[in-house]
Amino acid sequence: MSSSTTRMDVERAVDDVRRRTLSRIPRPLDQMVYLASMRDYNTGLYYHDGLAATYTQEVACEALAECHREAFRRLLEGSLEQLVGQLESYAGSTHTNPRDFIATWKKLEPYRVTVPVETEPLSAELLFSNLKIALAILESRSDPRQGAQAASPRLSPGQ
Amino acid sequence: MIQLILFLLVGALLLLSLLLFAGRNSGAEGTGAALVEAQQALKTLQRGLLPAPIVSRIFAADDLEYVRRNAPQNIQELFSRERRRIALDWVRHVRSEVIRLQHFHRETARFYSELKMRTELELALNFAALALACRALQIALFLRGPYPAPRIVEAATAAAVRICSISEISLAFLTPPGLTAFDKQSIGPAA
Repeated sequence: MSSSTTRMDVERAVDDVRRRTLSRIPRPLDQMVYLASMRDYNTGLYYHDGLAATYTQEVACEALAECHREAFRRLLEGSLEQLVGQLESYAGSTHTNPRDFIATWKKLEPYRVTVPVETEPLSAELLFSNLKIALAILESRSDPRQGAQAASPRLSPGQ
Repeated sequence: MIQLILFLLVGALLLLSLLLFAGRNSGAEGTGAALVEAQQALKTLQRGLLPAPIVSRIFAADDLEYVRRNAPQNIQELFSRERRRIALDWVRHVRSEVIRLQHFHRETARFYSELKMRTELELALNFAALALACRALQIALFLRGPYPAPRIVEAATAAAVRICSISEISLAFLTPPGLTAFDKQSIGPAA
C-alpha cells in the first residue's frame, strides 16, 4: 500500500470519527478523555473495532491518534474560563458527587494519562497546571466559605 | 641499517594514515550527531515552544482577569505561582534549544551550508538579541510574574522564529533528500 493511499485512508477515517462520534461529544475535554480511553496503556496504540473493520488497524490507530492530538490542541488553546466550564460539565456528566469528583481528580490526577503520546512536555505541563487551577476554582465554588472570599484583595498584574 | 630505517619509515607512515583515517571518521560521526541534535532542537522549538497559540496562552492576560474576578485570594496566588513556573520553564527551554542550534551553526553548519556573510551576521545578531531577551525575561518573570513584560516575550519569540527559519535552510542543505522524506514519515503532526 502506498503512503499516499494510506494518508488518504487516514483522512477518510478521521472524517468518519469526527462525523459519527466526536460530533456527539462537543467539548474538547470530553473528547480527549474518550480518545485516551481508546488507547492501550502498555503500547500507546489506539483500538476501535468498527473503524479497523472499515479500514485497517493501522489506519484506525493513526486516525484516532490524530483526533486525539486535535482535541488536546483545542483544549490547550482555550481560555481558563472555558476549561473551568468544560470541567464542570464533565464532572456533571459522570453523575458523581461534585466534591468526590474534585477530591479524586486532585488526588489521582487522572488527566495526566489523557494527553497524546507525542505531546511536548511544556504543553502537557501547561494543561496540567490549568486543570489544577480549574479544580481549585470548582472546589472553592462548592465550598461557600471559600467562595465568599472571591471578592477579597486581588493580585496586581505584577505579582 | 638502511632496511631498519625503511621499516621504521613505513611503520610511521602506516600509523599516520591510520590516525588520519580515524580522525576523519570521528569528524563525520560528529557532524551526523550535530545534525540530528539540531533537527531535534528545531522540531521542539517549532512544534512545542514557539507556536503562537501556546505562547499567547502561557502569557494570556484574560486568564488573569478571570481568576481575579472569580477566585478567592489563595487561588489567585496559586494561579500566579503556576503561571510564573510555566513561563520560566518556557524561557529556559527556548534558551536551551536555541543554544543547541547556535552550537550547531558555530561547529558545523557554517562550514558546509554556504551561508552568505549577511545571513551569518543576521544569525549572530539574532542569537545575541535572543540571549539578551531571555535573560531580561527571566529576571522580569522572577521579579514580577508573567504579565508585565509582553514586549520582551514578543521580542524573544520573534528572534527565536528568525533563528529557526535560518536554521531550517542550513539543515535542509545538509540533510540528504531521502533522509528528509524518512523524517517526515516517521514524525507525526504536532500535538
